[in-house]
Amino acid sequence: MRAPQAASSRFTSAPYVLVAPLALVLVVFFGIPLVLVVVVSFFDLDKFDIIPTFVLTNYSELLSSPLTYTLYAKTIKYALIVWAITLVIGFTVSYFLVFHVRSILWQMGLFLLCTVPFWTSNVIRMISWIPLLGRHGLLNQSLIALGLADHPLEFLLFSDFSVVIAYVHLFSLFMIVPIFNSMARIERAVIEAAVDGGASRFRVITDIVIPLSRTGIALGSIFVIALVMGDFFVVKVMSGGQSASVVAAMSNEIAILQYPPAAANAVCLLTIVTLMVAVIMRVVDVRRELSG
Amino acid sequence: MAQAGEIELRHITKRFDQTLAVDDISLTIPHGSYCCLLGPSGCGKTTILRMIAGHEAPTSGDIRLGGESVVGLPPARRGTAMMFQNYALFPHLNVLDNVAFNLKMRGVRRAERHERAREMLAQVQLDRRFSERMPAQLSGGQQQRVALSRALITKPRVLLLDEPLSALDEFLRLQMRGELRRMQRELGITFVHVTHTQLEAIAVADLVVVMDQGRIEQAASAHEIYTLPASAYVARFMGGQNVLTGTVVTIDGGVATLVDGSGARFATPVKSPAPAVGQEIACCVRRDRVDIEKLRGPSPSPGEATNVAAGTVHAIEYQGSYVKVTIDVLESEQVVAHLADHAFLATPLDIGDAVLARWATEDVYLLTGDLTHPPTGVRPGPLQGRESRSRNL
Repeated sequence: MRAPQAASSRFTSAPYVLVAPLALVLVVFFGIPLVLVVVVSFFDLDKFDIIPTFVLTNYSELLSSPLTYTLYAKTIKYALIVWAITLVIGFTVSYFLVFHVRSILWQMGLFLLCTVPFWTSNVIRMISWIPLLGRHGLLNQSLIALGLADHPLEFLLFSDFSVVIAYVHLFSLFMIVPIFNSMARIERAVIEAAVDGGASRFRVITDIVIPLSRTGIALGSIFVIALVMGDFFVVKVMSGGQSASVVAAMSNEIAILQYPPAAANAVCLLTIVTLMVAVIMRVVDVRRELSG
Repeated sequence: MAQAGEIELRHITKRFDQTLAVDDISLTIPHGSYCCLLGPSGCGKTTILRMIAGHEAPTSGDIRLGGESVVGLPPARRGTAMMFQNYALFPHLNVLDNVAFNLKMRGVRRAERHERAREMLAQVQLDRRFSERMPAQLSGGQQQRVALSRALITKPRVLLLDEPLSALDEFLRLQMRGELRRMQRELGITFVHVTHTQLEAIAVADLVVVMDQGRIEQAASAHEIYTLPASAYVARFMGGQNVLTGTVVTIDGGVATLVDGSGARFATPVKSPAPAVGQEIACCVRRDRVDIEKLRGPSPSPGEATNVAAGTVHAIEYQGSYVKVTIDVLESEQVVAHLADHAFLATPLDIGDAVLARWATEDVYLLTGDLTHPPTGVRPGPLQGRESRSRNL
């Protein structure tokens, strides 16, 4: 009787042992920093000294400042615009790759092509927009040379327009990959069955392809929204310092060593992004579809 | 004027790149009949089905439904409906919406299409309580009923079934094939059913089309295919026959005698035009018309008697109502006999026994057609079937 008992007790501890490395990594690199941020957000600030106590002034100041709402509105606006554009691009590119590119070789080749923007550093990618979109950039010069504009278009660079362009450039792949992945799993026979039943190409997309790629759409949306909401660098460079985001404000606070207000701001941002993700998860049961 | 559900294939050829999938086929399937396309994997049967459905276009030739050419028409405008292998149910829709899908595409209002879907599900005897379930929550048999309802809801004139029973277990397979036949009778429409299982085809079909390598070997009733095969290929593929080959030595009174490589003599009735002396011919004798007796004494020399094969028992398989005995014959094809169980039990045999198999001349049937034709893939396994499907996609 002893042997099976020993075996069964070893069996029950096995899952915990297996999950331990990941749990450890999460606790050390995610759990502890998060708790620290939350704790610090309640600390008080005196000149440049951080006083470990429990006050709500960081939050009350944050929530009473009109600047906070402007920044959040601006950041959410960026997130929604970029989300809409990358969704259209991600869906279209995936649809083309999955349903129109017949050979696997071409499919993989074109897929790799989508990752080209990631072959260089973030900074270089953004700086490379400047000679293209700048006042005397390629685009403006071409437009003037073609007679389509009589003076350089100002909105091309250091504007909301250029910020959105940079975001779309950076984050489209995060939409393409998950949508491609879920679209590729749609059985061809299911599409044929819909065509057999009289579905037009458009109805196949609306009634079959979109519902069956919703996991990928949800995952891509989470990626893009979280990335845009958490960015300060792109906004800073591409708006030429004329626009800001929540995280840019945070980075300013950190730069002048105002850690508690920055922490409070971070907790607020985290809450809002978590809520947005929760809404997406509510619409699409990502967990169920990933396991199925 | 052809009736609505008549299917006519005129010199259909289909190439995929360099491979010839269907090679100049002509066939007429009468309105309201149950037709089975039967053949090993890769013989082109699924391609034919998909061309009738409109999911594949023929390289050349014409397809006529009810007397009108449908080449180039989209599937939904042909009046056909297809039931896919593994059913291809919409995984994100519940049973009712799956069945109602084709009506939704035709702009039928929600309440009405659900009502008709419920009627359809009742007709295929799927319980009402399943109508809210998702396809993944159904058993294979239930999925099949849903797929059948979905295909039939638009009242097609032709139902095309691609290996409809291959995903089911043996018991359900027998039950569902009976039900398919019953549905076909009830609806009075044309069914075209693709299968690689001989017994399935002869059990349900009015018209069995035996195919090999993109060509039709024989298209006839099940009984005719089974008892009067057109070629050695069909006889071997259907499996109920022993094929005998040899050279004609004499023709006398409508009976030809032939001698095979080992010197054994066989006799077969011939009709005019009779084969010439010296010609290679093939004939067949049904397995259940072969008698087996234990050899007592020395083995007779080949050619001593006619329609006798001497050999040793290779395998004995009990089949319930009969016993299948396979005999190794020296320098010749194996002979298989189906013995009635009581006859077998009266004189039991054992593996390795020396036996004589004999049959009557009138039970021998002369085969025409190509003798050199190799019997490819006589018993394709389920894996081979899958292979052909993925290639056809």
